[in-house]
Amino acid sequence: MNNAIRKLGQLALVLFLVTLFTALLVSLLPGDPAEVIIPFGDERDREALREELNLDDPLPARYVAWLGDFVTGDFGNYYRQSITEPVGDRVGDAAPVSLQLMVYAQVLALLVAIPLGVITAQRAGGFLDKFANTTAFGVLAVPNFVLALVLSYFVGVELGWLPPQGYVRISRDLVEHLKSMALPAISLAAGQVAVYMRLLRTDMVATLQEDFILMAKAKGLSNKRVLWRHALRPSSLTLLTVAGLNVGTLVGGALIIEIIFTLPGMGTLIFQAISERQYVAIQSLVALIAIGYVLVNVAVDLLYSALDPRIRNARG
Amino acid sequence: MTSRTSTRRWLRLLALLLGLSMFAAACGDDDGGDEAAPDDSEQPDEGGTEDSTPEDVEGEPVPGGSLTYALEAETNGGFCLPEAQLAISGMQVAATIYDTLTKPDADGTLQPFLAESVEANEDSTQWTIKVREGVTFHDGTPLDAQVVANNIDAYRGAYPARTPLLFRFVFQDIESVQVVDPMTVQVNMVRPWSAFDWFLWGSNRVGIMAQAQLDDPENCGTNLVGTGPFKLDNWTVNEELVASKNPDYWRTDESGNKLPYLEQITYVPIPELASRSNALESGQVDALHTSDTEQIAQRLQPLSDSDDIKLLATDAYGEVNYLMLNSSVEPFNNKNARLALAHALDRQLLIDVRGGGIGQVAGGPFQEGVTGYLEDTGFPEYDLAKAEEFAAAYQEETGKPLSFAYTFVSTESGQLTAQEIQTQLADAGIDIQLDPAGDQATTINKALAGDFQAVGWRNHPGADPDTQYNWWAEGSPVNFGRISDPELQRLLDEGREAPLGEERDAIYEDLNRRFAEEVWNVWTSTTVWAIATKPNVQNILGYGPEGGSGPFPGLGTGHDVAGVWLSE
Amino acid sequence: MPEVEPTAAILDVATPSGSIEPTGDTELAVARTKRLGVIGWLAIIWLVLVALMAAVPSLFPVPELTERFPDSLRNRDFGPTSGHPLGFDTSGRDLLSKLVHGTRASMIVSVLAVSFGLVIGGTLGLIAGYFRGRVDTIITNAFNVGLAIPQLVLALTLAAVFASDANAGYGQRVLVVTFAIGFASIPILGRITRANTLTWANREFVLASKTIGAKTPRILIREVLPNVAPAMFSIALLGIAVAIVVEGGLALLGVGIPADITSPSWGNLIATGRSQMLLGEAGQVMAASTMVFFTVLSLNYLGDVVRARFDVRESAL
Repeated sequence: MNNAIRKLGQLALVLFLVTLFTALLVSLLPGDPAEVIIPFGDERDREALREELNLDDPLPARYVAWLGDFVTGDFGNYYRQSITEPVGDRVGDAAPVSLQLMVYAQVLALLVAIPLGVITAQRAGGFLDKFANTTAFGVLAVPNFVLALVLSYFVGVELGWLPPQGYVRISRDLVEHLKSMALPAISLAAGQVAVYMRLLRTDMVATLQEDFILMAKAKGLSNKRVLWRHALRPSSLTLLTVAGLNVGTLVGGALIIEIIFTLPGMGTLIFQAISERQYVAIQSLVALIAIGYVLVNVAVDLLYSALDPRIRNARG
Repeated sequence: MTSRTSTRRWLRLLALLLGLSMFAAACGDDDGGDEAAPDDSEQPDEGGTEDSTPEDVEGEPVPGGSLTYALEAETNGGFCLPEAQLAISGMQVAATIYDTLTKPDADGTLQPFLAESVEANEDSTQWTIKVREGVTFHDGTPLDAQVVANNIDAYRGAYPARTPLLFRFVFQDIESVQVVDPMTVQVNMVRPWSAFDWFLWGSNRVGIMAQAQLDDPENCGTNLVGTGPFKLDNWTVNEELVASKNPDYWRTDESGNKLPYLEQITYVPIPELASRSNALESGQVDALHTSDTEQIAQRLQPLSDSDDIKLLATDAYGEVNYLMLNSSVEPFNNKNARLALAHALDRQLLIDVRGGGIGQVAGGPFQEGVTGYLEDTGFPEYDLAKAEEFAAAYQEETGKPLSFAYTFVSTESGQLTAQEIQTQLADAGIDIQLDPAGDQATTINKALAGDFQAVGWRNHPGADPDTQYNWWAEGSPVNFGRISDPELQRLLDEGREAPLGEERDAIYEDLNRRFAEEVWNVWTSTTVWAIATKPNVQNILGYGPEGGSGPFPGLGTGHDVAGVWLSE
Repeated sequence: MPEVEPTAAILDVATPSGSIEPTGDTELAVARTKRLGVIGWLAIIWLVLVALMAAVPSLFPVPELTERFPDSLRNRDFGPTSGHPLGFDTSGRDLLSKLVHGTRASMIVSVLAVSFGLVIGGTLGLIAGYFRGRVDTIITNAFNVGLAIPQLVLALTLAAVFASDANAGYGQRVLVVTFAIGFASIPILGRITRANTLTWANREFVLASKTIGAKTPRILIREVLPNVAPAMFSIALLGIAVAIVVEGGLALLGVGIPADITSPSWGNLIATGRSQMLLGEAGQVMAASTMVFFTVLSLNYLGDVVRARFDVRESAL
């Protein structure tokens, strides 16, 4: 119980600091933020902006005001010449796209990595093991954007098997949706497959040496059963944690992948905001991503404690 | 205080202008200053649609079907036309939802379109617009003189609900707009304005909006109501804009069949060049537009040769690519510096390396077919020796070696062009620093603020030369290069007021020569635009305005889609 | 690379469940032997070559960056010819030359960035792991905040914010990119250092020094640091690999090193070669990607070797 409270406290602290950092990002802009954000407008517009961002207030007051807006869904505006548009309007459309991409990549990575990890662990040192390991090591050295470019061209255009770009909403057509997400998800998943497979293999090789496995074997359970039921279960927790922690890598990767495949997700929003010099939008988008990421990690952590009795007891 | 504020306000308006102006696409996504012009044929094109299969129309038009069209950019600023800053992609959508009062035809002759007629009095100080009868907006309200007058007032900044920025300058010579009778509008000018009717087309930017959109305080940019062939169904920014057939559209084809033929048209923004071609090749989209000649030459032309796609590529009535120089600051406030730069650039090589070899060297802002065009304007030719000579003269005068920053839209293509320019100038010993500015809007802002020495630019699509007035007029906020030349200003004003005819043509030819002589800008190449479609897409440019000679071949300002149909 | 039988060696690198550091790569130890092996030597040779290209490109017999070979333009034939083993880019410039000269910027950015991250993160990690208690709580929480923002997003944001000065010159932009990547790497480098410090800080010899009254800085530098150094070194190698890739990512996103012809980087060679690749001229992208690939591969491999050799645990709680 104490533990839970401590965790919550930590979570609150991390969230506080992350939002503090992002909320003050525009203060880091060289020069007067209002001048940078509205480079060509007149003083009246800048005055309005100063008011809106509370630029003249002391930092704590500014943070509180920002947070108040943020939690009520006011993520600031895009400041364009003729219109100001709320950032929140865009996020609602974009966030699901990024989430889908990351979930598909994660699921795909696990679907491929788990069987590979189990099989190579069982035959550790064998040809398949070496081959899979070497391949995985090589895959890790291929930047995902290079893979994405190559897949988009060869699979998407030359072979014409899958759409080389673009996005189709689920509600429009499920099959087309999955096709449109296939190459992006593969590009993003490849590196993860290598990580998960090698991790699982290492972990399972260790597990297979443990007494309870020997016991199970001694009891005459089939190898298959031992492997998939008894040995995989404890290792799956490790995998779960790493999968959770890897969300950060996925977010970064998704950003670039989305742009290469023109998926209208958060990465595209951030990219556009950066090239349009929309600093208020950048700030809110980064804050949203960071908060999402923190929450995913907490969720993984909780799930993890709930699943593994050893940890539950040890930490209780 | 007030004067400072109002200056800023003007500047800001200008900026907006830009927007509009910009055809700016100015520096399109396909990059500022890309050199391109299509035409893979060896002979210089004669200003027509050279290249490519113009429309093999097969058989009778078949109504129905839906078309997906890939655009080079999303129009983030929305479609509140008087306030919007439409680039090519926005103009294409605007031409789908809205009609303009006038429209040029195949010869570049202006015809009435949504107007029954547009006529001037003797000295062009008063223009009379007769509105077409029986036309209704998408919301069922009728088109009449009052709504047209309100629209014109909105564009010129005299309609309370709207605050136009750029158009306010463009239409500043209007004194008043009056409704004479239910279907007639009279526009009075402060001085003679012989090409005013061209401004009513405004590169498809000056569409007529319904009263409901005009008065909408919140959603003018997204609540699109026009009289055009298609009406807006839904628009998801960055994803798609879907428009469906306007069953009550006023135009018919020659046999009297109602237009448009298509049931639905969907625009998808695909900024990435290669992705756009990929999408067409893989069948995800039915049509695309692009101004990237490398893409046209290396990717689309081969597909067209093998009949996998249809390609329409032309620089007719197109824009010109150029290095816009800031003549108010060093080094280009010095004519020797401008001459050195002009002589140092091998513009044909630039086209070969960066434009896939298609496109033509440009000697001035006007394309063939446009009033004021000259085959030889006297613009300085590539000549390294002279370049070095003028650079040395510059150094002698100022005590500094010739060096400048080149600002450009930071797309991949923009970077490659910048690198090519850098390589060429290195041969002449001219040092340039690359200054990637961000996206198109950011680049325009820099230009507006005068915060540049040279910037890769694209502008001046084919139309009457008077439509370029605001870009060069002294003190105009969108005179980005801060050109201050009494001779140029005189020619601009004379051209505006002179009656149409040979004398006026000569004025603009003089203006063209003046540009070359003073090297206010370094013109590089004609912009080539291409529309590529699947083979079953027919009649992509449609029929053109009634009474005219066919559809306007200029592709850089969007095109009509009412006549498009799908075979098979 | 001789594969030695798993058990013992693997347990070394196996991550005890519940205490995994979020460094995807480091869980994967390829090296299960303490010897370097043929691959290890190849990796070292490659890295030395890369270092030479970065330090003294003039050693390599390649043309000047601005030199153009018009023959290649004439027929759009950019393939290899004698004297130009990798052929040309689509502007007729020698590709090998661009690759060699692009090494410096990539290396400067990635090595400086990781050094920066290591000095700051390493110091903080040492302090946190050694003193524990409140100091540890504060520093760990600071790391957690940093880790709460994905590295690329953080680097991208910083690069965008600090490069917003419109008149920033080339050098300044390189610095911004370096700082952005370096800053973003502090938390992860710091956290690994801390974890390793924790395991050493209570060892007998450290406690012994304490008892005989050695000063804290001395203990940290003389007793703890040498033992933690292999872990830091191993993670630094991996960090450089990551930084090389991030540099490429930033270039693709338009906030990388400016693509000036006289100062390319592998990242901006990839970024400016994309459309050419899709038009069938894949040379530049493939060549630059290959450099990135072998360099990252070598760094990953050596990182693993170091870890295996010094019996580093990625995390030890």
